[in-house]
Amino acid sequence: MPRNRADVVSFATSVRLYPGAGGTVDLQTLILNLQHFWAEHGCVIQQPLDLEVGAGTMHPETFLRVLGPEPYRVAYVQPSRRPADARYGENPFRLGRHLQLQVILKPSPDDVQNLYLQSLAALGIDPEVHDIRFEEDNWESPTLGAWGVGWQVLLDGMEVTQFTYFQQAGGIELAPISAELTYGLERIAMFLGRKDSIYDIEWGGGVPYGQIRLEDERESSTYGFEVADVEMLRRHLEDWESEAKRCLDHDPPLVIPALEATLKTSHLFNLMDARGAVSVTERVGLIGRVRKNAIRAAKAYVARREELGHPLGNALGEME
Amino acid sequence: MMAAFLLELRTEEIPANALPGARRQLADGVSRALAEAGFGDATVQVMSTSLRLMVRIDGLPERQADRTERLMGPPARIAFADDGSPTKAADGFAKKAGVAVDALETESTDKGDYLVATVVHEGRATSEILSEVVPVVLKAMRFPKMMRWGLGEHYFVRPVHGLVALFDGAVVPMEVFGITAGRETVGHRVHGPEPFEVTSDADYVGALTERGVLIDPAERRRILVARSAELAAEVGCRVHPDDALVAEHVELVEYPGLLRGSIDGEYLELPREVVITTLRYHQKCLILEHEDGSLAPHFLTVIDRRDDPEGLVRQGNEWVIGARLADARFFFDEDRKHGMEALAPDLSRLEFHRVLGSVAAKADRVGKLAMTLNDRLGLDLDAEVVRRAAHLVKTDLLTNMVVEFPELQGVMGGHYLRLEGADEGLWTAARDHYRPSGFDGEIPTSDLGRLLGVADRLDTLAGLFGVGEIPSGSKDPLGLRRAAQAVVKIVAGADWKLDMDGAVQAAVAGLDGVVEAPSAETVATLRDFMADRVRRYLTDQVGVGGDAADAVMAAGWGDLSELRARAEALDAVRTTPQMRALGLAFKRVKNITEGAPEPIVDPGLFETDEERELHAASEVFAARLGECVGARRFDDAFASMGELAEVLDRFFVEVLVMCEDAKVRDNRVALLTELRREFLTLADLSRLQVDGGNK
Repeated sequence: MPRNRADVVSFATSVRLYPGAGGTVDLQTLILNLQHFWAEHGCVIQQPLDLEVGAGTMHPETFLRVLGPEPYRVAYVQPSRRPADARYGENPFRLGRHLQLQVILKPSPDDVQNLYLQSLAALGIDPEVHDIRFEEDNWESPTLGAWGVGWQVLLDGMEVTQFTYFQQAGGIELAPISAELTYGLERIAMFLGRKDSIYDIEWGGGVPYGQIRLEDERESSTYGFEVADVEMLRRHLEDWESEAKRCLDHDPPLVIPALEATLKTSHLFNLMDARGAVSVTERVGLIGRVRKNAIRAAKAYVARREELGHPLGNALGEME
Repeated sequence: MMAAFLLELRTEEIPANALPGARRQLADGVSRALAEAGFGDATVQVMSTSLRLMVRIDGLPERQADRTERLMGPPARIAFADDGSPTKAADGFAKKAGVAVDALETESTDKGDYLVATVVHEGRATSEILSEVVPVVLKAMRFPKMMRWGLGEHYFVRPVHGLVALFDGAVVPMEVFGITAGRETVGHRVHGPEPFEVTSDADYVGALTERGVLIDPAERRRILVARSAELAAEVGCRVHPDDALVAEHVELVEYPGLLRGSIDGEYLELPREVVITTLRYHQKCLILEHEDGSLAPHFLTVIDRRDDPEGLVRQGNEWVIGARLADARFFFDEDRKHGMEALAPDLSRLEFHRVLGSVAAKADRVGKLAMTLNDRLGLDLDAEVVRRAAHLVKTDLLTNMVVEFPELQGVMGGHYLRLEGADEGLWTAARDHYRPSGFDGEIPTSDLGRLLGVADRLDTLAGLFGVGEIPSGSKDPLGLRRAAQAVVKIVAGADWKLDMDGAVQAAVAGLDGVVEAPSAETVATLRDFMADRVRRYLTDQVGVGGDAADAVMAAGWGDLSELRARAEALDAVRTTPQMRALGLAFKRVKNITEGAPEPIVDPGLFETDEERELHAASEVFAARLGECVGARRFDDAFASMGELAEVLDRFFVEVLVMCEDAKVRDNRVALLTELRREFLTLADLSRLQVDGGNK
């Protein structure tokens, strides 16, 4: 692995960069280059989870794969829905749905920070002429029973990535430890293009982000803040919660269906929350209910992988 | 020949707030280990950057000194046979001590002659000791948040990547966190990333400096302070002093670079607090201001590098800050579209507490309670104004800006109301009613602000106590102690003659029908809680001794400004011999008069001059007391009280209170009971510490 500045640069230039239109770095070029970079570093390039989730962490490719001893490397884009963050397309910096590029490196390699800096170089960000900082920012997800220690990565003062060493997921202490890199794609594109509005960044092929997403943001905001039927959401939350339980009670437990049903309850909760239908005390209770099933799914996954004899190998075994 | 030891532990970025503690732990741990190994004279120096911890020990010998020990053995008489040959006892002792039999000596003591062995413990090599103790010290370090990495075998604040351990220029073999010690390290990530070898402790700091790393936090601080002043002066500004932020930046870098960027002047039209929050709290920028204190259109940002070769760092930071300020302005403009009056009804949708209801319901209660206090205090605020204000001062909780920056609650309400043309009493009340935080900060300037500040917090306290959320030990997640302290500070600071007991009762009564707990219990618990805060106010804010605070509070604490005056007066004299004597005498008075009925003193029953003398003095004192208390001349009151010390002493020496004649006895008890009652209007002197007490 490259160890120093000279290697970083030579490596970056050895990666074939996808040129953006007219030499600018547009959103899809960012994605293609990051995927390409991480594929070169042994990652499976996965696809987004085809369910509504608040973060790439909820994708089974992260939430489940970080459990147990099997080594794994994966990268994927995950559209992340946060109905409460929506702003009717009127705020130039905020979205109800944004794109994350999520990378999991398990176990976390010794040179993970250096790898990350190289990935920036692959985006045309030369660490030699920028100020790149790792400032403490620990992460916790009460819904997933998960927490980690790490930093937010600041590029010339702009937060571009959340960098986390997972310590616990689904209530289970982890070994080996996974490194999670979450790139905020719109932010990076905005920053690199020095755009004043998310909607002005270029998606690709000369098409602006606004042309593709603005109407969606408007409608989704109206839906999330004004229209969503709270009683229906509540009902469906109950339904999917009991469906998750049925999958977990099944013999053998159906891990992925149970997790997917649990993720649906999580999103329904987020919608109710955006509608202002969740009081502070109810919030704690609902989060606890989602977490309970997430934890059971995690435990069932660990047991199942053990039964299967850890098909992807055992990182802990390799050390002996 | 003395030599030095150098240790460098290289990690990924350690959180800024963990580093000062890490340096302390390292210095303490290493010093303790050195003392145990007999190296107490060595000096320990610990320094760090965001990426490395360094320990340097000077004045270490190459080896521990040899240590001689004299062991006492068996008596000489049983150690040698008649022929002078050693017995089993002598052989056994020599073996145990590890010396030859013929090396044993005889020593005379007052119990007779004994065998003595001189044992020499050879000192160990310093390097060997260091290789044992240093890993122990490093592994024992604890941080607020710790982690594992990789395969999860090691546990530290962040992953560890390098270890240099040199004693007198030679590597000290050791392994910590899976890393084997050597002499290789790296410089700054940008300015000197190539690995290099540290040849000796002497050139370590210099070698790092060449490679862009300043290991000494004090030096980084000096550079930051000096350079920021220069950069400010270049544009005719000064740096708004911010020691805490500078201290944080010192820990966040390996090299303390600084650059100045510009802010679009139009953003300075935003309220000052909004700009500062955005720059200071979200981007960790140093604030530049003009001579008159107004904000300048510049900021200073700390970067972890010497330079900005292509100007991209400044450009990037300016863009981020511009974006953040634009975001804030977006919130500000959005908020300004709705009037506060129009927004206020939505407080009913904002939950304050599951049982205690919405913020609107709370504001209703606060308005009523404020009016009750208004009437009791004889202030002349209008009921409708107070009722409306109770809602409006909370309305900023619904604004975009406060949702985004909760720390601006109150401040934003003040700005929005002012911009809407609300009258000054109202907008300053909105701005100020969260102040002070505990005892810290100024109290609100207007009666309305003070009244709402007190009523809001009393309602919170009464409500949360009513639902059982009472602080215990160090647990006070809702900040109720701070809330109660603020009430005390406002009432005392405003010089209000507010009966605290009555105020607590009124607050609890306002929650009738909302909480189920019996109100009498809540009142009693909350009253004790408030009493604790009042005591803390006297000791911490007024600065009176704890015993004086207890003494005056035992005589009543409803009127805080009166209490304060009384406490200060007693505190001034509490250590005089006279007051100490009086304190002891008063303890006797209290014991004797325990449970005594309403006193009726009959001077005809006096048998001694001392009784008559005390009675006369007591009456004089009662009259003086009335005058002094009325005029709040508590110095004089305690001076008069002090004059009773001698009289009372004589009384106790000459008069047997518990005599056989019941009538005479009861009359003496009555005399003391009267005195007790007079004393207790000022203070319970029996609480004074005999040794004078500590502040």
